[in-house]
Amino acid sequence: MTSRVDRTVGKNVSRVDGHAKVTGQAVYVDDLTTPGALFGGTVRSAVARGTLRGIRKDPSFDWTGITVVTAADIPGDNVVALIEDDQPLLAKDAIRHVYEPVALVACDDPVRLQQAIAAITLDVEPLPPVLSIEDAEAKKQIIYGKDNVQKRYVIEHELGGKTIDELILACDVVVTGRYAVHHQEQMYIEPQGMVAHWQEAGEGAEAGVGDGVHVTGSLQCPFYVHKAMKRAFALEGDRVHIGQAVTGGGFGGKEEYPSILAAHAALLSKVAGKPVRMIYGRKEDIEATTKRHPARIEITTGCTKAGELVALKVECAMDGGAYVTLTPVVLSRGILHAAGAYKWKHARIHGWAVATNTPPNGAFRGFGAPQTIWAIERHMDRIAEKLGKDPLTLRQQNLLAIGAVTVTGQTLTQSVGVVECIEKAVKSSDYFAKRAAYAKPSPAAGSRTRTRRGIGAAVFMHGAGFTGSGERRLKGKVQVDLEPGGRLRVRSASTDIGQGTETIFRQIAADAAELPFDTIEIETPNTSNVPDSGPTVASRTVMVVGSIVGKGAKMIADRVRASGTGDFATLADALLAREKKVSTLVEYEPPVAVQWNDDTYRGDAYPCYAWACDIAEVEVDLDTFETKVIGFWAAQDIGKAIHPIMCAGQVEGGTLQAIGWALYENLVMKDGHILNARMTNYVIPTSKDAPPFTTFLVEHPFSGGPSGAKGVGELPMDGGAPAIAAAVEQAIGALCNDLPLLPEDLFRAKSKSQVARS
Amino acid sequence: MIRFKVNGTVRETDAPPMARLLDVLRVPLGLTGTKEGCGEGECGACSVMLDGVPVNSCLVAVGQCEGREVVTVEGLAHGAELTPLQRAFIEDGGAQCGICTPGMLVAAEALLRRNTSPTDDDVRDAIAGNLCRCTGYQRIVDSIQAAAAAVRAKTSKASKASKAGGETGA
Amino acid sequence: MSAHAPAGLARTEMVCPKTIAEACAVLAQAHRDKRAASLLAGGTDVIVDRHLMPIEKARPLDLVVDLTGVDELTAISERDVAGERHLVFGGGVTYWQLRTDRRVLAAIPMLDAMAKDVGAVQIQTRGTLAGNIATASPAADGVPALMALDGVVKLVSEGGARTVPLDQFFLAYRKTVLAAGELIAEIDVRVPLPGARVTWRKVGTRLAQAISKVALAGVIEEERGTITRARFGVASVAAVTHPLGGVRALAEGKTFKALDRATVDAAIDLEIKPIDDVRSTGAYRLHVAKALVWRALAP
Repeated sequence: MTSRVDRTVGKNVSRVDGHAKVTGQAVYVDDLTTPGALFGGTVRSAVARGTLRGIRKDPSFDWTGITVVTAADIPGDNVVALIEDDQPLLAKDAIRHVYEPVALVACDDPVRLQQAIAAITLDVEPLPPVLSIEDAEAKKQIIYGKDNVQKRYVIEHELGGKTIDELILACDVVVTGRYAVHHQEQMYIEPQGMVAHWQEAGEGAEAGVGDGVHVTGSLQCPFYVHKAMKRAFALEGDRVHIGQAVTGGGFGGKEEYPSILAAHAALLSKVAGKPVRMIYGRKEDIEATTKRHPARIEITTGCTKAGELVALKVECAMDGGAYVTLTPVVLSRGILHAAGAYKWKHARIHGWAVATNTPPNGAFRGFGAPQTIWAIERHMDRIAEKLGKDPLTLRQQNLLAIGAVTVTGQTLTQSVGVVECIEKAVKSSDYFAKRAAYAKPSPAAGSRTRTRRGIGAAVFMHGAGFTGSGERRLKGKVQVDLEPGGRLRVRSASTDIGQGTETIFRQIAADAAELPFDTIEIETPNTSNVPDSGPTVASRTVMVVGSIVGKGAKMIADRVRASGTGDFATLADALLAREKKVSTLVEYEPPVAVQWNDDTYRGDAYPCYAWACDIAEVEVDLDTFETKVIGFWAAQDIGKAIHPIMCAGQVEGGTLQAIGWALYENLVMKDGHILNARMTNYVIPTSKDAPPFTTFLVEHPFSGGPSGAKGVGELPMDGGAPAIAAAVEQAIGALCNDLPLLPEDLFRAKSKSQVARS
Repeated sequence: MIRFKVNGTVRETDAPPMARLLDVLRVPLGLTGTKEGCGEGECGACSVMLDGVPVNSCLVAVGQCEGREVVTVEGLAHGAELTPLQRAFIEDGGAQCGICTPGMLVAAEALLRRNTSPTDDDVRDAIAGNLCRCTGYQRIVDSIQAAAAAVRAKTSKASKASKAGGETGA
Repeated sequence: MSAHAPAGLARTEMVCPKTIAEACAVLAQAHRDKRAASLLAGGTDVIVDRHLMPIEKARPLDLVVDLTGVDELTAISERDVAGERHLVFGGGVTYWQLRTDRRVLAAIPMLDAMAKDVGAVQIQTRGTLAGNIATASPAADGVPALMALDGVVKLVSEGGARTVPLDQFFLAYRKTVLAAGELIAEIDVRVPLPGARVTWRKVGTRLAQAISKVALAGVIEEERGTITRARFGVASVAAVTHPLGGVRALAEGKTFKALDRATVDAAIDLEIKPIDDVRSTGAYRLHVAKALVWRALAP
């Protein structure tokens, strides 16, 4: 007889890594003890663009015991294997950004290491750099391909032989706008780090340490690193072992960059013959690792006088930085979200990414969507203004719904909770009453405190899982093993980077197998111990990988229960005794109904979408233009909250990153150099800056996700900035079409609008 | 040789006096619960208590600690028994990636030692020197308030018990 | 640990005196021996600089004099000067002391407000008034507040002591009148009269752990409508903390109603020319400085 146990999905079980984290026992990469390890460091170019003529070691420096490696020491291909092969692990001739790594140094003493790095000079012949999207488009300097364009996509929807311009001009009301967004640094609190140990064949003396290269570090995607290492070192996959240390936040920043750092540490280890630790300090982390893509987005729309949206034209340019990295995928997600959560009869969305001589931009929570959602949400407010309508009412009038068709031609068939999201956020925030009250011109009370309030809303959606046919190509896998005592071990490559994967996978597996929560073990991801489940990105961990975790756990449990009668543990032990190994490898199969054409960019862009409404209330000091967010309401439809507290934590944390992007964070660059690569000057919100959050988890289940769950990771990053901007606009009466909205920007905007009025 | 008490035990180090307390705790003393996020007193991940007040251990020279008492995250729990704050951070979403958690717990512990009925503003002030990029702070504030409530409940229970002349637990 | 460590760390000796006199003697001896010496209190500047400075720029440091064991430096006392109430802070008084000392909270709540705006608790427990003054950053938070309170510092050395008003202490960007062998033993401030209009407003990059873009402290006293005293300290708008002497001259002796915004703004224009930097712009800083001063002075 099977023992029925309490379901845990939907309950706030204790986080399984909680005890280790609150007692200081959790081992992050910098906490690993590696006897005999050397410290590794990087020599970087210091010019934005140029030709490397030589690398000179100061002959007066004592180089004893110091290992120096350059591109010539790389045994395999000198590329960071990802999408394009344009990025070298170490520059050989061309320098394409200021922080380009050129040489690596290892030494057993950190002080001597710094001295050695300072004793290496690079002979670089400078070339004129390309530093902005506009520079790249001007094509005075060609730094990538024929036209500096790294990637281009077009979506066309129901043009019927006409141009989008013709369709727009035929509308009653035409609105045009230009919107811009800036860089954003992930600023995980744990800087990037890797520890590498190269062991030649036959050397593997330590127990459990096989031949080849072992790298452990702070990372999101062990198999990305694995792939890059195989290429760089010309190794078979079974000689590359990539493990995850407890990881102190990622947010996309530890998606692709760890491949570079792992290869660097491994190369030093190979040449030096000792383990090597490379742990970045904060400055190097901010300078060298990827950022969110800046973008410039132009939108023209046509609608009826009554406010029915008709035609949409989007021209979106993104700054990819010096190398392609993940830019094509970021651009793709960007344009797939550019139409917002609304119905359009006709649309043309054109996106391109250009190369510049700035540090490569890459993955950051939201992955292109926050950029285009910023633009469409600001534009919706511009349309509302022109029509004299409440901006939220205009949105409600045009929402996508079940049965509606998106701009890629996808008919939504289920799990669209946006109406409920809006209702919940509006009611709790008292949006309409406040919006009306704050619209009244109130004389600033007294001259000592001059503040005004505003309230604003954003409505948005985020595709869950990989775009288009991504999951079908990827075939993510999970292995579930039966272990003595009736325990199950789940092996997946999905990393817990704070979002709670370990806990949630246990919940999903326990419920699917109808076993107690604490009989499930989650293997710490290491490429030698887990199958490739795909990367921990794209809001796919719970919905995609979680679904096969449940499937695998159920398959094993069913086999045990089918093997006889008795209690589960006894049956399991008997089965194990008979078969030695009881295990299953499950592969993800996307719902058959999901079909996508990569050539035409038509079809089901995502298996489903998560939906949300954010409402922000702000108070702006009319003298200093400081914005204080005094309330924030986030209602987000994520299908099913497997663990409500963790989900709310995702929503609130993502939203605060969006608020930071809007109001505080600003990467200051000059000639390709980052001038504020310190936590003191790259300003993220503190607990005093963060608003109190009111969070609603709305649950319109998706049939393809475990218990109906969709993705929650990225959605919260999308709506915060436009909601804040709408509120700030109402408070100060100046246009906010460009990020950031620092006090200096608002001061400038307000001064400009006053000049324009007088 | 510099001698100071760490988590109740006298420890010695031959580190140079200008070595950062953070580095001495992490490397020779092996107390890696204290984290480094910025090296300039900005993120608070390295917070420890020095003679009962929270400080950034990246800003303290170990030579300044001679004869003084340091408590790190490893010294918060009473043996195997977690503090109310530690329990609340596990249960109420205060910890996500966990890298800010040790410093956050130290700052919160210092708050609850001086005020067991803090307002949310008091809590936000007490942890303003501890940057978190995961949570948006709401669940941290909630965790600290839950712990404060647990501390108050325990105190009032204890005082009721003693008033009633009942037996009090050890 | 990250592969960063200050050069010559092992070479630096530390002495931990127990009295001011002892500290002065050590400093004087180091000076005679031509050893590079530095005072160390909360470490919020010294240790960060030493740790993050690129190795090729690091200066040698032979001796560090740790002041955290000198009890005299953490005293807060009261004195009467010509019938006016003054508070005297030892140079080692921390911001956290300001936030928790009953006498300070009752007499000068502005210092509590200022101290709350310094970094966050972990900085407030370490940072000292003398450290803030001696570092001479134009973005210091403590200095403008002490300046508006007519702060006078007492400098002590082996050879004796002298007093210098804070508004004469700073010579240029990060340059002060402090001589080799001297340390800041005390800061004397005048307690504003009851009913004085006392202002503290920091405009930082965020609400905690922030360096100011502009911070203004002001003490305005009046007698029957006439301004008898208008003292200011303003941060981050000049190479040093600025006392806005021109605004003081303009305001003192006038009634509130006789002051108008344009005249006050013009006086500020003559005094400060804030610059653009990584944190803010000169135009914004000037605008904010004017607005804050006007908030302090407006009828």
